[in-house]
Amino acid sequence: MTRNAVKATDEAVKQGKDTQSTDKGLARRDLFRAAGLGVGALGAVAAGVTATGGPAEAAPAETTSTGYRETDHVRKVYEVSRF
Amino acid sequence: MSSAVDHIVPPAVAEEELFRAQVYALLARLFARPPDAAFLTALGDLAGEGGEFGAALDRLADAARDSDPAAVEDEFTTLFIGVGGSERTPYGSFYLTGFLNEKPLAELRVAMARLGIARADGVTEPEDHIAALCEMMAGLIGGEFAPEDGDTVGLDGQRAFFDRHVGSWAGRFFADLETSPSARFYRAVGAVGRSFLAVEARAFDLAA
Repeated sequence: MTRNAVKATDEAVKQGKDTQSTDKGLARRDLFRAAGLGVGALGAVAAGVTATGGPAEAAPAETTSTGYRETDHVRKVYEVSRF
Repeated sequence: MSSAVDHIVPPAVAEEELFRAQVYALLARLFARPPDAAFLTALGDLAGEGGEFGAALDRLADAARDSDPAAVEDEFTTLFIGVGGSERTPYGSFYLTGFLNEKPLAELRVAMARLGIARADGVTEPEDHIAALCEMMAGLIGGEFAPEDGDTVGLDGQRAFFDRHVGSWAGRFFADLETSPSARFYRAVGAVGRSFLAVEARAFDLAA
């Protein structure tokens, strides 16, 4: 169950560039692991709170070449925080 | 999410960075509204992986198993709902100045505009609510926003945002929650938040 919750993300990470290959990145990684922040600790809960694209909800924005950002380019947050 | 739009496709995020985003998302969810029965059940299955943070997760799991949804909802209302009437006021401006909607909120709005973040339609709470800020941190880590300058937000940018808008007060808020008279379930949430922010602060120092 725990593994399933992070599967898709693992694949995404493998496909991308490694942004944490420096010594500093490794020190950070060690710190997180020592502190008990390992991927998988949240298990199924992680899947519940981070659906694809995260908690925020926004319509995909179209890129314009005018240098002008339309409203849709601004990512909306706080959807999750509605009472 | 569409992959046709390059600039909002999240860049590759190392897995421990992704876990940070998940913790922020969890905190955002728990401070946005009380967990329902299904979510409490899922929280009850949490198993920490050692360390202070892992121990806090274990206590959160214990608290979730010992709580029923109606009681947690009542607790949430007592703790957070109603300006002036709630036990805690989970807004950055309040913690930093003693008042809501003060300069820290204005500064946050400037930062949000620069980072390509806006308050969602229909939301009336000020943006410096703890849930919104946690949601913003999760999105920054995940590369979900499109900053004005077209760049991505790296650790430096995350740190700048964190130091000014989150780390400056949220640790005190979480600690207050741990000692709030009405807090039961949320006492455990406060411990998770406080221990997580402590790791975050140390980790930003390491990356500097």
